[in-house]
Amino acid sequence: MKKVVVLFAILTMVLSAFSITITMTAGAVGRELEVLYEQVAMFMEENPDITVNVLPMPNSSTDRHDLYVTYLASGTPDPDVLMLDVIWPAEFAPFLVDLTDDYDYFGLDGFFPGTVASNTVDGRLVAVPWFTDAGILYYRKDLLEKYGYDVPETWDELYTAAKDISAKEGINGFVWQGARYEGLTCDVMEFVHSFGGEIMKDGKVVVDDPEYYDNNLAAITFMNKLILDGASPRGVTTYMEEEARRVFQNGDAVFMRNWPYAWSLANTPESPVAGKVGITVLPKGPAPDGRNSATLGGWNLGINANSSPAEVEASKKLIKFLVSKEQQVYKAVYTGQTPTMVEAYNDPRTIEANDFYPDILDVFVNAEPRPVSPIYNEISREIQVAVHQVLTGQSTPERALDSLARNLKSLVE
Amino acid sequence: MKVKGTYKRSDIWLAFWLIIPTLIAIGITAFYPLGQTLYDSFFKWSLRPGFEREFVGFQNYINLFQDPRFLSSLWNTIYFTFFSVVIEFLLGLGTALILNADFKLRGLVRAAVLIPWAIPTAVSSQMWKWMYNDQYGVISIMLYNLGILEEGTPILGTPGMAMAAIIGVDVWKTTPFVALLLLAGLQTIPNELYEAARIDGANIWKQFTSITLPVLRPTIGVTLIFRTLDALRVFDIVYIMTQGSVGTETLAVYNRSLLMDNIFSPRGLFGYGSALSVVIFLIIGIFTLIYIRSLNIKLD
Repeated sequence: MKKVVVLFAILTMVLSAFSITITMTAGAVGRELEVLYEQVAMFMEENPDITVNVLPMPNSSTDRHDLYVTYLASGTPDPDVLMLDVIWPAEFAPFLVDLTDDYDYFGLDGFFPGTVASNTVDGRLVAVPWFTDAGILYYRKDLLEKYGYDVPETWDELYTAAKDISAKEGINGFVWQGARYEGLTCDVMEFVHSFGGEIMKDGKVVVDDPEYYDNNLAAITFMNKLILDGASPRGVTTYMEEEARRVFQNGDAVFMRNWPYAWSLANTPESPVAGKVGITVLPKGPAPDGRNSATLGGWNLGINANSSPAEVEASKKLIKFLVSKEQQVYKAVYTGQTPTMVEAYNDPRTIEANDFYPDILDVFVNAEPRPVSPIYNEISREIQVAVHQVLTGQSTPERALDSLARNLKSLVE
Repeated sequence: MKVKGTYKRSDIWLAFWLIIPTLIAIGITAFYPLGQTLYDSFFKWSLRPGFEREFVGFQNYINLFQDPRFLSSLWNTIYFTFFSVVIEFLLGLGTALILNADFKLRGLVRAAVLIPWAIPTAVSSQMWKWMYNDQYGVISIMLYNLGILEEGTPILGTPGMAMAAIIGVDVWKTTPFVALLLLAGLQTIPNELYEAARIDGANIWKQFTSITLPVLRPTIGVTLIFRTLDALRVFDIVYIMTQGSVGTETLAVYNRSLLMDNIFSPRGLFGYGSALSVVIFLIIGIFTLIYIRSLNIKLD
């Protein structure tokens, strides 16, 4: 018995000299985690010398942030591969391995430029885009048809249709994310950009620049008008993604702004609106500055700078595998999460599983990043507070924009 | 100290050695972090690599009292604490008096009232958040039907109402705990006292004010300390239900945001967050002292 134990110990030591274990964090939204386990199994089959442990994370991005903060601040070498929200690279950059020289290794020329740019901090590439996200408009095909409306191209058209149909049907018009949290910043950026406004540009605060101020004001005023006039329910000021999706999927709203993940859920057989939903780009603001805009979301893979060189090498291999075209297609087919590589959209398997992709490919290509800054959290919070105060009737659009400009300047200066 | 003479010297040494591991554990888990936090609060500092620790003396504390977000979260915390503790205490006392009476199935009822207390706060907060939902929430719909609320009003998205709703959840959750503590106190009062009072012709109110309340005073003191300290550092209910929006941000919620959201901020907010932690600690300490003094509680 003793001999066996000794032999086993020696064997493990010999084996471990040649093999390496790395840890990777992962989300568990929808089928995400299951699919990752399958992908990791494939990877380990191709690379028998590498063992990958998957560490599931909470669903909320804020809770994940809290966990990463404790990992990184304590300087622990685990986890090696970090799944990062698109807004974190600037903040976490000092803790991440510099991947600038591996640009070609990961084949980043074939990726959406916006997703790569959002992972580049001061010219340093710190993470690789894994899957992307962008805000899109969901609408009820059956109801638009019933009342003779076209798919809205401008916010005013959406407003008219939402008000009219919701009144006649006795349901809500347009639901979106109005609770005071990160999602509100995403929605605000879409309204502001589509009206031709801008909050930050090249690291400078431009909220009250004469060039943007009027458009910013018009955008915030319009958001407020949606609620005041009943085109959106007053409850949107408490909605996050899932609250909005529940209302829409239950058949209780005409329009919804959300991320692409809601598509497959809205079309499950037990969904009351299955087959009645259409999706399109978010509407344009009014002429002359109005345009379509979608906020860039998505998740990236970075490497912990405290990992050993051998772990870093193994982590790079894993990342290269996960972001390869084949695996992006696999992920798109089984989770519905949208690839970051242009090629993956041309694959028939991707299109077959997600037939709406070709229609909104442009949305992903042109998705606009939120301000890139190491103090992004603070900037985002100021935006959330200012707009949420307007939406809940505690401030006027003018006063909120003035205080937003003042507070942002005191943060950035 | 009086007992000292009755123990043998070796016994006292043994007791000393036995207590040492506990003292070390308390030192490591309580006093060391406390001292570290106090120390950090005098610096402009962030955990961002390469950030130079800069000594700023009391500047963080001075800034804190000019920070409108701090002042409003301080006010929100006091508001929450006052109303939740007062309501919980009155309801808890009433419940305890009822549960102290003799009736059938008393044991079952006593166990049943504890259910809200037994549910983890995170779970009950999420549950109430759904009940407050503007479209499908059972509470919202009841209030619409009664005509108290206009249809479609988001309870957790309306200034004023949101804080009241959160206090309501805290009352629902904690009243059973208060009742249980007071019930334990009530049961120490011998029945003979009441019998004697009745014979002397004291009515129920007189019995309550001259027997129940005085005997119950230490229990009331401990209950109020427990509840006030808990309420002053309220975090989970608020964070889950509103994330601190529409005037519900409390000190603990603000502190989380400083220490977790902005831990790597190049603006060096870690020291500022530490200063806030110290202030929360002091506020709680002051409240405890006030209670101990005014209720004449003996801690030894």
